[in-house]
Amino acid sequence: MDLAHLFQRRLLVVAGKGGVGKTTVACALALEAARHGRRTLLCEVDGVARGAHLFQVPPLGIGEVAEVRPGVFLMAVEGKAALAEYLQLIIPVRRLLATVFKSRIYQHFVAAAPGLKELMTVGKIWYEAERLDDDTGQRRWDLVIMDAPATGHSLQYLRMPAAARDAFGTGLVQREAQRIVDLLTDPARTAVNLVTTAEEMPVNETVAMHRQLCDELGMPTGFLFINRMHRCDFADDDLARLGASAERHRDPRSRTALRELAARAREEAGWTRVNARYRARLARQVSMPIVELPHLFAEEFTAQEVRTLAVHIAAQAGGADQQEERA
Amino acid sequence: VKSLAAVVAEHGVVICAGSGGVGKTTTAAAIALHGAAAGRRTIVLTIDPARRLADALGLRVLGNEARAVRSDTAGSLHAMMLDQKGAWDHLVERYAPSAEVRDRILGNRFYQHLSQSFAGSQEYMALEQLHELHASGAYDLIVVDTPPTRHALDFLEAPQRLVDFLDRDVVRWFVKPYFSAGWATLRIVNRTVGAVLRRLEDATGVSALVEISDFFVSMSQLFEGFEARVQRVAQLLRSRQTAFVLVASPEEEVLAEAEYFCRQVETLSIPLRAVVFNRVHRESQLPERRLDEAWVRRLAARAVGSAEQGERLAANFFRYELQARGDTLRIEAFRKQMPKRTAVATVPNFDEDLHDLTGLRRMLPHLAE
Repeated sequence: MDLAHLFQRRLLVVAGKGGVGKTTVACALALEAARHGRRTLLCEVDGVARGAHLFQVPPLGIGEVAEVRPGVFLMAVEGKAALAEYLQLIIPVRRLLATVFKSRIYQHFVAAAPGLKELMTVGKIWYEAERLDDDTGQRRWDLVIMDAPATGHSLQYLRMPAAARDAFGTGLVQREAQRIVDLLTDPARTAVNLVTTAEEMPVNETVAMHRQLCDELGMPTGFLFINRMHRCDFADDDLARLGASAERHRDPRSRTALRELAARAREEAGWTRVNARYRARLARQVSMPIVELPHLFAEEFTAQEVRTLAVHIAAQAGGADQQEERA
Repeated sequence: VKSLAAVVAEHGVVICAGSGGVGKTTTAAAIALHGAAAGRRTIVLTIDPARRLADALGLRVLGNEARAVRSDTAGSLHAMMLDQKGAWDHLVERYAPSAEVRDRILGNRFYQHLSQSFAGSQEYMALEQLHELHASGAYDLIVVDTPPTRHALDFLEAPQRLVDFLDRDVVRWFVKPYFSAGWATLRIVNRTVGAVLRRLEDATGVSALVEISDFFVSMSQLFEGFEARVQRVAQLLRSRQTAFVLVASPEEEVLAEAEYFCRQVETLSIPLRAVVFNRVHRESQLPERRLDEAWVRRLAARAVGSAEQGERLAANFFRYELQARGDTLRIEAFRKQMPKRTAVATVPNFDEDLHDLTGLRRMLPHLAE
């Protein structure tokens, strides 16, 4: 598989444990998709608009769409708003709905009904992925990327359409849920990409998530992105020499500098070894093509860093043509 | 301002909150180890520890039982893991007034397909467990690791959402068998309701509405007195014995979330007592702000006897300095808007994943600073 094939899909899900850099990888993927000429909608789920911050545009309201880069559109999706939009589609009586939306019962029910927000969120993303433009009749988006919430929660989202289909034996909801399941499980239209760091907890979750995707949900997978890799090992001898040299120096400033050099080298070497160990475990236990992304040392993570990640992704997953073009 | 260790010493319940992936579980275990080392009978209530940490805490076997940890500390250390799976089944089994109600709930089609998506069961179970441990009087210090949530506050709000779910007004709607006179009357008296119901029947099928109604009928029996229990736990959380510790890493996304938490704590009267910054890249101790880079390169090259290795070492050092400066600036900005008199602990990035008692011991000095 390469990016050209990946971007032929209609829906890419980007999932992973909290704090591993899912959003930045999703943004980088969106940039690459646009570079492949795909008109791309990046959906941020759960009302957190970090993508807007990374692309340096003002925060978006729920359901609002903004073109943040040529060919890259950003939208914040939230279950409650999606439910209201859906109800307007199936119950086209404005006055009646206005009464319903205002009632406390509706408010409470929507807040607490199990799985409803998740179902509506995935439903909205499905709607966007299949949506035709009112004027042209063409597909509105070539590709929709879902920046999913943290692992446990993204499973709840991805599981909901099938759960709803089974819970509602008949009727419109059952039929619509089935159509969403069809999209999610179709390898020609959908791929779930996982993001992780090469450390114990994220790797455990990634292995478990991969198993659930394949065995329980039957969802097709794309790339496994191993983010924030440290790749600079230092020989123990050199570390020892730095230490010894620090003790020999009389000048306190040189002594401090050598100690700091040694400490930072130990830190980097330590994480490099941890990362290598867990990367090997991922390669053994998760049967997905791997893209390795370096830890980017930066004072602040900005659009520039996202761009850098996109270049790394293209270099490793771009396929032969792409790599030549870049060279 | 006190140290985190001093805050822990003054409280009987310590709750570690924070968004996912910031090292909450490890921090909770380290705080517990610190308490036990100080001679207190301590227990850590944990949710999903890394395998090696679970090993270290003797928690390979699932089940809600307290297990003694061989920690060689002055006070005893116990650990307990909350079983994440089937938290709702446990709730149902525990609180169903009769075997009949229990079976009716467990057999309900909606319950079976959707109980995995019910919010709040895990959080509620954690709080129930905390309350039981506290009431038992067997421990001087109880440290709670909260479930991984998108937002740090979800943990606290989950029980209230459960109460809302079974809100009287909502339940009055649903707690009537679907074909009962109640629904029929509602339908006739209120034309709006009638129209909505007809549409709903089209959308979901009548049998689904029957099941939903039946589900609420059964669940409402389960939660007799539920609100009272939630209130009781809420009281413990807001009492003077309880300290909240916010765990964060110095990343922008995490700190933005942490800021939101800090803004909310006062309105919710949550006793936030300390913040732990985890995996912080430390700035070097060199006095000057602008470092003579050529000098550092020469120094490194001479120490290891190789210009090339010296170059690599120096480049690595500069990269870490850059990252460390970012961490420092973000933490400083965060501390400006933190509630006053909140203790702060800064735990460095170290050079490994910490998951065993030896690793946890490396954290301890930083909790006492």
